[in-house]
Amino acid sequence: MAGVSFSVRRGEFVAILGPSGCGKSTLLMMCGGLESISRGTITIDGAPVTGPRTTTGIMFQESTLLPWKTVLDNVMFPIGILQRPRKDYLPRARQLLSLVGLDGFESHKPHQLSGGMRQRAAICRALVYDPDILLMDEPFSALDAITRDEMNDALLDIWDRYTKTALFVTHSIREAVYLADRVLVMHRRPATVVADIRVPLPRPRDPSVGETAVFNELCGELRGMIEHSHRAARPAAAHV
Amino acid sequence: MSDAIGPGAIGPDGIGSGAIRPDGIRKERALAVVLPVATAIVLLVVWQAATRIWSIQPVILPAPTDVLHQLAIAWPDLLRESVYTGVESFAACALSAVLGGGVAAMLASSPLLRDILYPNLVAFQLIPKIALAPLFVIWLGIDAPSRLTFSVFISFFPVAIGTLTGLLDTNPNVIRLCRSLTATRSQIFRQVQVPYALPFFFSGLKVAATLSVIGIIIGEFISSKRGIGSYILLAGSRAETARIFAALLVLCVIGLAQYGVIAYLETRVRKAWRG
Repeated sequence: MAGVSFSVRRGEFVAILGPSGCGKSTLLMMCGGLESISRGTITIDGAPVTGPRTTTGIMFQESTLLPWKTVLDNVMFPIGILQRPRKDYLPRARQLLSLVGLDGFESHKPHQLSGGMRQRAAICRALVYDPDILLMDEPFSALDAITRDEMNDALLDIWDRYTKTALFVTHSIREAVYLADRVLVMHRRPATVVADIRVPLPRPRDPSVGETAVFNELCGELRGMIEHSHRAARPAAAHV
Repeated sequence: MSDAIGPGAIGPDGIGSGAIRPDGIRKERALAVVLPVATAIVLLVVWQAATRIWSIQPVILPAPTDVLHQLAIAWPDLLRESVYTGVESFAACALSAVLGGGVAAMLASSPLLRDILYPNLVAFQLIPKIALAPLFVIWLGIDAPSRLTFSVFISFFPVAIGTLTGLLDTNPNVIRLCRSLTATRSQIFRQVQVPYALPFFFSGLKVAATLSVIGIIIGEFISSKRGIGSYILLAGSRAETARIFAALLVLCVIGLAQYGVIAYLETRVRKAWRG
Protein backbone atom coordinates (compact mmCIF):
# COMPACT_ATOMS: atom_id res chain seq x y z
CA MET A 1 0.00 0.00 0.00
CA ALA A 2 1.40 3.37 -0.96
CA GLY A 3 0.33 6.95 -1.20
CA VAL A 4 -2.90 6.46 0.66
CA SER A 5 -3.85 9.67 2.32
CA PHE A 6 -7.25 10.82 3.42
CA SER A 7 -8.99 12.18 6.45
CA VAL A 8 -12.45 11.50 7.77
CA ARG A 9 -14.50 13.99 9.76
CA ARG A 10 -16.32 12.92 12.89
CA GLY A 11 -19.77 11.61 12.04
CA GLU A 12 -18.95 11.19 8.38
CA PHE A 13 -19.93 8.09 6.41
CA VAL A 14 -17.11 7.15 4.05
CA ALA A 15 -17.27 4.28 1.60
CA ILE A 16 -14.08 2.70 0.32
CA LEU A 17 -14.75 1.35 -3.14
CA GLY A 18 -12.49 -0.83 -5.21
CA PRO A 19 -11.98 -4.17 -6.92
CA SER A 20 -11.24 -7.20 -4.80
CA GLY A 21 -7.61 -7.56 -3.84
CA CYS A 22 -6.94 -3.82 -3.89
CA GLY A 23 -6.13 -3.72 -0.20
CA LYS A 24 -9.29 -1.98 0.97
CA SER A 25 -9.93 -4.55 3.69
CA THR A 26 -6.32 -4.30 4.84
CA LEU A 27 -6.71 -0.54 5.03
CA LEU A 28 -9.83 -0.98 7.15
CA MET A 29 -8.10 -3.44 9.48
CA MET A 30 -5.22 -0.97 9.84
CA CYS A 31 -7.74 1.67 10.95
CA GLY A 32 -8.98 -0.82 13.53
CA GLY A 33 -5.45 -1.46 14.76
CA LEU A 34 -5.68 -5.08 13.64
CA GLU A 35 -3.01 -4.94 10.93
CA SER A 36 0.39 -3.47 11.48
CA ILE A 37 1.18 -0.37 9.48
CA SER A 38 4.51 -0.67 7.72
CA ARG A 39 4.94 3.00 6.86
CA GLY A 40 2.97 6.10 7.63
CA THR A 41 0.43 6.72 10.36
CA ILE A 42 -3.26 6.61 11.04
CA THR A 43 -4.46 9.03 13.66
CA ILE A 44 -7.81 9.12 15.39
CA ASP A 45 -8.56 12.26 17.36
CA GLY A 46 -4.92 13.22 16.99
CA ALA A 47 -3.57 10.00 18.51
CA PRO A 48 -1.81 7.47 16.26
CA VAL A 49 -3.37 4.03 16.00
CA THR A 50 -0.94 1.51 17.45
CA GLY A 51 -3.35 -1.29 18.34
CA PRO A 52 -7.02 -2.08 18.84
CA ARG A 53 -9.12 0.59 20.52
CA THR A 54 -12.29 -0.11 22.43
CA THR A 55 -14.00 2.78 20.70
CA THR A 56 -14.06 0.99 17.36
CA GLY A 57 -16.94 -1.22 16.27
CA ILE A 58 -16.33 -3.78 13.57
CA MET A 59 -18.40 -5.80 11.09
CA PHE A 60 -17.31 -8.48 8.65
CA GLN A 61 -18.69 -10.08 5.52
CA GLU A 62 -20.09 -12.94 7.57
CA SER A 63 -21.90 -12.16 10.78
CA THR A 64 -19.33 -14.05 12.94
CA LEU A 65 -22.02 -14.58 15.56
CA LEU A 66 -21.08 -17.29 18.05
CA PRO A 67 -23.27 -20.30 17.21
CA TRP A 68 -23.72 -21.41 20.82
CA LYS A 69 -24.97 -18.05 22.06
CA THR A 70 -28.44 -16.57 21.69
CA VAL A 71 -28.94 -13.42 19.64
CA LEU A 72 -29.08 -11.28 22.78
CA ASP A 73 -25.97 -12.90 24.26
CA ASN A 74 -24.17 -12.41 20.96
CA VAL A 75 -25.06 -8.74 20.97
CA MET A 76 -23.88 -8.54 24.60
CA PHE A 77 -20.65 -10.43 23.82
CA PRO A 78 -18.45 -7.29 23.62
CA ILE A 79 -19.73 -6.17 27.03
CA GLY A 80 -18.46 -9.42 28.54
CA ILE A 81 -15.07 -9.09 26.86
CA LEU A 82 -14.78 -5.46 27.98
CA GLN A 83 -15.86 -6.56 31.47
CA ARG A 84 -18.44 -3.84 31.74
CA PRO A 85 -21.55 -4.31 33.91
CA ARG A 86 -24.06 -6.32 31.89
CA LYS A 87 -27.13 -4.69 33.34
CA ASP A 88 -26.00 -1.23 32.20
CA TYR A 89 -26.00 -2.36 28.59
CA LEU A 90 -28.96 -4.75 28.42
CA PRO A 91 -31.52 -2.02 27.70
CA ARG A 92 -29.31 -0.65 24.94
CA ALA A 93 -28.88 -4.12 23.43
CA ARG A 94 -32.65 -4.66 23.38
CA GLN A 95 -33.23 -1.19 21.96
CA LEU A 96 -30.75 -1.84 19.14
CA LEU A 97 -32.32 -5.22 18.39
CA SER A 98 -35.75 -3.68 18.17
CA LEU A 99 -34.42 -0.89 15.96
CA VAL A 100 -33.21 -3.45 13.40
CA GLY A 101 -36.47 -5.41 13.67
CA LEU A 102 -35.16 -8.32 15.70
CA ASP A 103 -37.42 -7.94 18.72
CA GLY A 104 -38.83 -11.34 19.56
CA PHE A 105 -35.65 -13.04 18.39
CA GLU A 106 -33.50 -12.32 21.45
CA SER A 107 -33.35 -15.94 22.58
CA HIS A 108 -32.91 -17.48 19.13
CA LYS A 109 -29.66 -19.05 18.07
CA PRO A 110 -27.88 -17.73 14.96
CA HIS A 111 -28.64 -20.86 12.92
CA GLN A 112 -32.34 -20.11 13.29
CA LEU A 113 -31.94 -16.75 11.55
CA SER A 114 -31.61 -15.82 7.91
CA GLY A 115 -28.37 -14.29 6.62
CA GLY A 116 -29.84 -10.78 6.70
CA MET A 117 -31.09 -11.20 10.26
CA ARG A 118 -27.66 -12.41 11.35
CA GLN A 119 -26.05 -9.30 9.89
CA ARG A 120 -28.64 -7.15 11.66
CA ALA A 121 -27.61 -8.79 14.93
CA ALA A 122 -23.98 -8.16 14.00
CA ILE A 123 -24.74 -4.43 13.56
CA CYS A 124 -26.23 -4.41 17.06
CA ARG A 125 -23.17 -6.18 18.43
CA ALA A 126 -20.87 -3.63 16.80
CA LEU A 127 -22.80 -0.74 18.36
CA VAL A 128 -23.72 -2.06 21.80
CA TYR A 129 -20.66 -0.67 23.56
CA ASP A 130 -21.15 2.73 21.93
CA PRO A 131 -18.01 2.96 19.79
CA ASP A 132 -17.42 6.21 17.95
CA ILE A 133 -16.11 4.62 14.77
CA LEU A 134 -17.79 1.81 12.87
CA LEU A 135 -15.61 -0.25 10.52
CA MET A 136 -17.51 -2.42 8.05
CA ASP A 137 -15.77 -4.86 5.74
CA GLU A 138 -18.19 -5.69 2.91
CA PRO A 139 -20.82 -6.50 5.51
CA PHE A 140 -23.63 -7.17 3.04
CA SER A 141 -21.79 -8.65 0.09
CA ALA A 142 -22.78 -12.23 0.93
CA LEU A 143 -26.48 -11.37 0.94
CA ASP A 144 -28.93 -11.53 -1.95
CA ALA A 145 -29.72 -8.26 -3.74
CA ILE A 146 -33.12 -7.70 -2.09
CA THR A 147 -31.86 -8.38 1.42
CA ARG A 148 -28.87 -6.21 0.70
CA ASP A 149 -31.09 -3.23 -0.15
CA GLU A 150 -33.04 -3.80 3.06
CA MET A 151 -29.83 -3.94 5.04
CA ASN A 152 -28.62 -0.70 3.51
CA ASP A 153 -31.82 1.00 4.69
CA ALA A 154 -31.53 -0.59 8.13
CA LEU A 155 -27.95 0.65 8.38
CA LEU A 156 -28.93 4.17 7.33
CA ASP A 157 -31.73 4.16 9.93
CA ILE A 158 -29.28 3.21 12.64
CA TRP A 159 -26.68 5.64 11.42
CA ASP A 160 -29.23 8.47 11.42
CA ARG A 161 -30.03 7.72 15.03
CA TYR A 162 -26.57 7.08 16.44
CA THR A 163 -24.42 9.16 14.15
CA LYS A 164 -21.06 7.40 14.09
CA THR A 165 -18.04 7.89 11.97
CA ALA A 166 -18.33 5.05 9.51
CA LEU A 167 -15.85 3.43 7.16
CA PHE A 168 -17.61 1.05 4.79
CA VAL A 169 -15.65 -1.18 2.45
CA THR A 170 -17.56 -2.40 -0.59
CA HIS A 171 -17.15 -3.34 -4.23
CA SER A 172 -20.69 -2.28 -5.08
CA ILE A 173 -20.80 1.18 -6.66
CA ARG A 174 -24.50 1.71 -6.00
CA GLU A 175 -24.15 0.65 -2.39
CA ALA A 176 -21.27 3.07 -1.86
CA VAL A 177 -23.16 6.00 -3.38
CA TYR A 178 -26.39 5.16 -1.58
CA LEU A 179 -24.81 4.99 1.86
CA ALA A 180 -21.89 7.37 1.94
CA ASP A 181 -21.12 11.06 2.25
CA ARG A 182 -17.85 10.44 0.46
CA VAL A 183 -16.58 7.63 -1.72
CA LEU A 184 -12.87 6.82 -1.84
CA VAL A 185 -11.95 4.87 -4.98
CA MET A 186 -9.06 2.46 -4.52
CA HIS A 187 -6.76 1.13 -7.16
CA ARG A 188 -4.92 -2.15 -7.29
CA ARG A 189 -1.12 -2.54 -7.48
CA PRO A 190 -0.05 -0.29 -5.98
CA ALA A 191 -2.93 -0.07 -3.56
CA THR A 192 -3.74 3.56 -3.48
CA VAL A 193 -6.67 5.95 -3.34
CA VAL A 194 -7.21 7.38 -6.82
CA ALA A 195 -10.26 9.52 -6.16
CA ASP A 196 -12.15 11.10 -3.30
CA ILE A 197 -15.69 11.88 -4.43
CA ARG A 198 -18.30 13.76 -2.42
CA VAL A 199 -21.84 12.41 -2.71
CA PRO A 200 -24.16 15.41 -3.08
CA LEU A 201 -27.35 13.54 -2.14
CA PRO A 202 -29.48 14.87 0.71
CA ARG A 203 -30.26 12.80 3.81
CA PRO A 204 -32.31 11.01 4.94
CA ARG A 205 -32.10 8.84 1.84
CA ASP A 206 -34.60 6.27 0.71
CA PRO A 207 -34.63 3.86 -2.23
CA SER A 208 -36.14 6.51 -4.55
CA VAL A 209 -32.73 8.21 -4.49
CA GLY A 210 -31.51 5.37 -6.67
CA GLU A 211 -33.65 6.65 -9.57
CA THR A 212 -32.41 10.24 -9.52
CA ALA A 213 -30.15 11.55 -12.25
CA VAL A 214 -27.52 12.74 -9.75
CA PHE A 215 -27.25 9.24 -8.27
CA ASN A 216 -26.92 7.51 -11.60
CA GLU A 217 -24.47 10.03 -13.06
CA LEU A 218 -22.27 9.61 -10.01
CA CYS A 219 -22.44 5.83 -10.33
CA GLY A 220 -21.46 6.11 -13.99
CA GLU A 221 -18.56 8.37 -13.16
CA LEU A 222 -17.29 5.96 -10.49
CA ARG A 223 -17.67 2.98 -12.79
CA GLY A 224 -15.58 4.80 -15.39
CA MET A 225 -12.84 5.42 -12.83
CA ILE A 226 -12.74 1.83 -11.67
CA GLU A 227 -12.67 0.45 -15.21
CA HIS A 228 -9.98 2.89 -16.20
CA SER A 229 -7.74 1.98 -13.26
CA HIS A 230 -8.47 -1.68 -13.90
CA ARG A 231 -7.36 -1.43 -17.52
CA ALA A 232 -4.25 0.52 -16.59
CA ALA A 233 -3.25 -2.11 -14.07
CA ARG A 234 -3.29 -4.95 -16.59
CA PRO A 235 -0.74 -5.69 -19.28
CA ALA A 236 -2.08 -5.11 -22.79
CA ALA A 237 -1.73 -8.77 -23.72
CA ALA A 238 -4.52 -9.65 -21.33
CA HIS A 239 -7.03 -8.07 -23.71
CA VAL A 240 -6.16 -10.20 -26.73
CA MET B 1 -41.39 -32.12 2.10
CA SER B 2 -42.21 -28.59 1.05
CA ASP B 3 -42.87 -27.27 4.55
CA ALA B 4 -39.43 -28.22 5.81
CA ILE B 5 -38.00 -25.01 4.41
CA GLY B 6 -39.48 -21.63 3.69
CA PRO B 7 -40.49 -18.67 5.80
CA GLY B 8 -42.02 -20.89 8.49
CA ALA B 9 -38.58 -22.08 9.48
CA ILE B 10 -37.58 -18.66 10.73
CA GLY B 11 -40.87 -17.25 11.99
CA PRO B 12 -41.10 -15.69 15.45
CA ASP B 13 -42.73 -18.83 16.79
CA GLY B 14 -42.44 -22.44 15.76
CA ILE B 15 -38.69 -22.40 15.40
CA GLY B 16 -36.21 -25.14 14.92
CA SER B 17 -36.29 -28.76 14.00
CA GLY B 18 -38.91 -29.66 16.63
CA ALA B 19 -41.52 -27.52 14.95
CA ILE B 20 -40.96 -29.02 11.54
CA ARG B 21 -42.95 -32.22 11.05
CA PRO B 22 -42.66 -33.82 14.47
CA ASP B 23 -44.33 -36.98 13.13
CA GLY B 24 -41.71 -37.56 10.49
CA ILE B 25 -38.88 -37.03 12.94
CA ARG B 26 -40.42 -39.36 15.51
CA LYS B 27 -40.81 -42.02 12.84
CA GLU B 28 -37.20 -41.53 11.77
CA ARG B 29 -35.98 -41.83 15.37
CA ALA B 30 -38.01 -45.00 15.95
CA LEU B 31 -36.60 -46.46 12.77
CA ALA B 32 -33.08 -45.62 13.95
CA VAL B 33 -33.67 -47.87 16.97
CA VAL B 34 -35.72 -50.61 15.32
CA LEU B 35 -33.42 -51.23 12.35
CA PRO B 36 -30.19 -52.07 14.22
CA VAL B 37 -32.04 -54.12 16.85
CA ALA B 38 -33.88 -56.10 14.19
CA THR B 39 -30.61 -56.71 12.34
CA ALA B 40 -28.97 -58.00 15.53
CA ILE B 41 -31.89 -60.32 16.24
CA VAL B 42 -31.81 -61.72 12.70
CA LEU B 43 -28.06 -62.37 13.03
CA LEU B 44 -28.55 -64.14 16.36
CA VAL B 45 -31.30 -66.31 14.92
CA VAL B 46 -29.12 -67.25 11.93
CA TRP B 47 -26.22 -67.99 14.31
CA GLN B 48 -28.43 -70.21 16.48
CA ALA B 49 -29.87 -72.01 13.47
CA ALA B 50 -26.42 -72.52 11.93
CA THR B 51 -25.01 -74.17 15.05
CA ARG B 52 -28.01 -76.48 15.21
CA ILE B 53 -28.34 -77.28 11.51
CA TRP B 54 -24.66 -78.11 10.96
CA SER B 55 -24.28 -79.32 14.58
CA ILE B 56 -21.20 -77.15 15.10
CA GLN B 57 -19.28 -78.17 18.20
CA PRO B 58 -19.77 -75.70 21.07
CA VAL B 59 -16.01 -75.46 21.53
CA ILE B 60 -15.70 -74.08 17.99
CA LEU B 61 -18.79 -71.88 18.01
CA PRO B 62 -21.28 -72.04 20.88
CA ALA B 63 -24.90 -71.18 20.11
CA PRO B 64 -26.23 -67.89 21.49
CA THR B 65 -28.31 -69.90 23.96
CA ASP B 66 -25.14 -71.65 25.22
CA VAL B 67 -23.57 -68.24 25.78
CA LEU B 68 -26.63 -67.05 27.69
CA HIS B 69 -26.55 -70.25 29.76
CA GLN B 70 -22.87 -69.64 30.58
CA LEU B 71 -23.66 -66.03 31.43
CA ALA B 72 -26.34 -67.22 33.87
CA ILE B 73 -23.86 -69.52 35.59
CA ALA B 74 -20.79 -67.31 35.59
CA TRP B 75 -22.30 -63.89 36.15
CA PRO B 76 -20.98 -63.38 39.72
CA ASP B 77 -17.41 -63.99 38.48
CA LEU B 78 -17.95 -61.88 35.39
CA LEU B 79 -19.44 -59.07 37.43
CA ARG B 80 -16.46 -59.06 39.78
CA GLU B 81 -13.96 -59.06 36.92
CA SER B 82 -15.87 -56.48 34.93
CA VAL B 83 -15.67 -54.03 37.82
CA TYR B 84 -11.85 -54.14 37.59
CA THR B 85 -11.86 -53.70 33.84
CA GLY B 86 -14.69 -51.17 33.82
CA VAL B 87 -13.21 -48.91 36.48
CA GLU B 88 -9.80 -48.95 34.84
CA SER B 89 -11.09 -48.24 31.36
CA PHE B 90 -13.32 -45.42 32.62
CA ALA B 91 -10.33 -43.98 34.44
CA ALA B 92 -8.17 -44.32 31.33
CA CYS B 93 -10.83 -42.60 29.27
CA ALA B 94 -11.14 -39.75 31.75
CA LEU B 95 -7.36 -39.36 31.89
CA SER B 96 -7.28 -39.32 28.08
CA ALA B 97 -9.84 -36.52 28.09
CA VAL B 98 -7.71 -34.47 30.47
CA LEU B 99 -4.39 -35.27 28.83
CA GLY B 100 -5.72 -34.95 25.27
CA GLY B 101 -7.46 -31.67 26.08
CA GLY B 102 -4.36 -30.40 27.86
CA VAL B 103 -1.98 -31.29 25.05
CA ALA B 104 -4.34 -29.69 22.53
CA ALA B 105 -4.59 -26.50 24.60
CA MET B 106 -0.82 -26.38 24.90
CA LEU B 107 -0.24 -26.90 21.18
CA ALA B 108 -2.96 -24.42 20.25
CA SER B 109 -1.44 -21.74 22.43
CA SER B 110 1.95 -21.69 20.76
CA PRO B 111 2.77 -22.07 17.06
CA LEU B 112 6.38 -22.71 18.06
CA LEU B 113 5.42 -25.56 20.35
CA ARG B 114 3.18 -26.88 17.60
CA ASP B 115 6.07 -26.90 15.14
CA ILE B 116 8.30 -28.65 17.66
CA LEU B 117 5.87 -31.27 18.94
CA TYR B 118 3.12 -31.92 16.45
CA PRO B 119 5.07 -33.82 13.76
CA ASN B 120 6.77 -35.87 16.46
CA LEU B 121 3.47 -36.62 18.11
CA VAL B 122 2.09 -37.88 14.81
CA ALA B 123 5.23 -39.91 14.05
CA PHE B 124 5.06 -41.43 17.50
CA GLN B 125 1.47 -42.44 16.89
CA LEU B 126 2.49 -44.33 13.75
CA ILE B 127 4.23 -46.95 15.89
CA PRO B 128 1.89 -49.93 16.33
CA LYS B 129 1.30 -49.14 19.97
CA ILE B 130 0.23 -52.62 20.96
CA ALA B 131 3.82 -53.69 20.33
CA LEU B 132 4.88 -51.32 23.10
CA ALA B 133 2.72 -52.91 25.80
CA PRO B 134 5.56 -55.09 27.20
CA LEU B 135 7.66 -51.95 27.63
CA PHE B 136 5.11 -50.52 30.00
CA VAL B 137 5.28 -53.70 32.04
CA ILE B 138 9.06 -53.30 32.29
CA TRP B 139 8.76 -49.65 33.26
CA LEU B 140 5.74 -49.67 35.51
CA GLY B 141 5.23 -53.23 36.66
CA ILE B 142 2.19 -55.42 36.29
CA ASP B 143 -0.40 -53.45 38.23
CA ALA B 144 -3.05 -50.88 37.44
CA PRO B 145 -0.63 -47.96 36.80
CA SER B 146 0.99 -49.90 33.99
CA ARG B 147 -2.33 -50.79 32.35
CA LEU B 148 -3.71 -47.29 32.83
CA THR B 149 -0.64 -45.66 31.33
CA PHE B 150 -0.72 -47.96 28.33
CA SER B 151 -4.42 -47.41 27.80
CA VAL B 152 -4.13 -43.62 28.09
CA PHE B 153 -1.15 -43.75 25.79
CA ILE B 154 -3.19 -45.28 23.01
CA SER B 155 -6.45 -43.40 23.62
CA PHE B 156 -5.47 -39.78 24.25
CA PHE B 157 -4.30 -39.17 20.70
CA PRO B 158 -7.71 -38.79 19.00
CA VAL B 159 -8.81 -36.43 21.79
CA ALA B 160 -5.69 -34.31 21.35
CA ILE B 161 -5.95 -34.15 17.56
CA GLY B 162 -9.71 -33.53 17.58
CA THR B 163 -9.52 -30.79 20.18
CA LEU B 164 -6.53 -29.14 18.50
CA THR B 165 -8.41 -29.07 15.21
CA GLY B 166 -11.35 -27.41 16.95
CA LEU B 167 -9.21 -24.87 18.78
CA LEU B 168 -7.40 -23.87 15.59
CA ASP B 169 -10.53 -23.98 13.45
CA THR B 170 -12.09 -20.97 15.17
CA ASN B 171 -13.27 -18.41 12.64
CA PRO B 172 -10.36 -15.95 12.24
CA ASN B 173 -12.76 -13.03 12.00
CA VAL B 174 -14.20 -13.90 15.40
CA ILE B 175 -10.65 -13.76 16.75
CA ARG B 176 -10.22 -10.40 14.98
CA LEU B 177 -13.43 -9.17 16.55
CA CYS B 178 -12.15 -10.18 19.99
CA ARG B 179 -8.82 -8.49 19.37
CA SER B 180 -10.60 -5.33 18.27
CA LEU B 181 -12.27 -5.40 21.68
CA THR B 182 -8.82 -5.68 23.29
CA ALA B 183 -9.64 -9.19 24.53
CA THR B 184 -6.84 -11.00 26.32
CA ARG B 185 -5.59 -14.32 25.00
CA SER B 186 -7.15 -16.11 27.91
CA GLN B 187 -10.50 -14.45 27.20
CA ILE B 188 -10.33 -15.51 23.57
CA PHE B 189 -9.33 -19.01 24.61
CA ARG B 190 -12.03 -19.50 27.22
CA GLN B 191 -14.90 -17.63 25.63
CA VAL B 192 -14.39 -18.45 21.97
CA GLN B 193 -11.90 -21.22 21.20
CA VAL B 194 -12.96 -23.68 23.88
CA PRO B 195 -16.67 -23.55 23.03
CA TYR B 196 -15.76 -23.88 19.34
CA ALA B 197 -13.61 -26.94 20.10
CA LEU B 198 -16.09 -28.77 22.35
CA PRO B 199 -17.85 -30.77 19.61
CA PHE B 200 -14.43 -31.76 18.21
CA PHE B 201 -13.29 -32.77 21.69
CA PHE B 202 -16.28 -35.04 22.07
CA SER B 203 -15.85 -36.78 18.75
CA GLY B 204 -12.25 -37.46 19.73
CA LEU B 205 -13.38 -38.73 23.12
CA LYS B 206 -15.82 -41.16 21.51
CA VAL B 207 -12.93 -42.77 19.67
CA ALA B 208 -10.91 -42.72 22.89
CA ALA B 209 -13.73 -44.55 24.68
CA THR B 210 -13.34 -47.62 22.47
CA LEU B 211 -9.54 -47.43 22.50
CA SER B 212 -9.33 -47.20 26.29
CA VAL B 213 -11.19 -50.54 26.69
CA ILE B 214 -8.81 -52.09 24.17
CA GLY B 215 -5.84 -50.70 26.10
CA ILE B 216 -6.99 -52.11 29.42
CA ILE B 217 -7.79 -55.54 27.93
CA ILE B 218 -4.36 -55.76 26.32
CA GLY B 219 -2.83 -54.78 29.63
CA GLU B 220 -4.78 -57.54 31.34
CA PHE B 221 -3.76 -60.05 28.67
CA ILE B 222 -0.14 -59.31 29.37
CA SER B 223 0.08 -58.89 33.07
CA SER B 224 -3.04 -59.10 35.15
CA LYS B 225 -4.53 -61.85 37.24
CA ARG B 226 -7.78 -59.89 37.32
CA GLY B 227 -10.25 -58.32 34.96
CA ILE B 228 -12.12 -59.49 31.88
CA GLY B 229 -8.91 -59.74 29.87
CA SER B 230 -7.36 -62.32 32.14
CA TYR B 231 -10.73 -64.05 32.44
CA ILE B 232 -10.81 -64.47 28.67
CA LEU B 233 -7.23 -65.77 28.65
CA LEU B 234 -8.05 -68.30 31.32
CA ALA B 235 -11.24 -69.44 29.58
CA GLY B 236 -9.27 -69.69 26.34
CA SER B 237 -6.61 -71.89 27.90
CA ARG B 238 -9.39 -74.24 29.03
CA ALA B 239 -11.16 -74.10 25.65
CA GLU B 240 -14.31 -72.77 27.34
CA THR B 241 -15.54 -70.99 24.27
CA ALA B 242 -19.01 -70.12 25.59
CA ARG B 243 -17.36 -68.44 28.55
CA ILE B 244 -15.21 -66.29 26.23
CA PHE B 245 -18.33 -65.19 24.42
CA ALA B 246 -20.06 -64.39 27.71
CA ALA B 247 -17.04 -62.26 28.68
CA LEU B 248 -17.15 -60.53 25.29
CA LEU B 249 -20.77 -59.67 25.94
CA VAL B 250 -19.77 -58.07 29.25
CA LEU B 251 -17.04 -56.11 27.43
CA CYS B 252 -19.64 -54.84 25.00
CA VAL B 253 -21.69 -53.58 27.93
CA ILE B 254 -18.67 -51.80 29.43
CA GLY B 255 -17.85 -50.19 26.09
CA LEU B 256 -21.46 -49.18 25.53
CA ALA B 257 -21.76 -47.70 29.01
CA GLN B 258 -18.63 -45.65 28.44
CA TYR B 259 -19.77 -44.52 25.03
CA GLY B 260 -23.20 -43.75 26.46
CA VAL B 261 -21.83 -41.48 29.17
CA ILE B 262 -19.82 -39.55 26.60
CA ALA B 263 -22.69 -39.37 24.14
CA TYR B 264 -24.90 -38.05 26.94
CA LEU B 265 -22.39 -35.36 27.88
CA GLU B 266 -22.03 -34.51 24.22
CA THR B 267 -25.76 -34.01 23.71
CA ARG B 268 -25.77 -31.69 26.71
CA VAL B 269 -22.99 -29.67 25.17
CA ARG B 270 -24.57 -29.70 21.73
CA LYS B 271 -27.81 -28.53 23.23
CA ALA B 272 -26.04 -25.60 24.84
CA TRP B 273 -24.44 -25.02 21.47
CA ARG B 274 -27.41 -25.17 19.17
CA GLY B 275 -30.34 -24.72 21.57
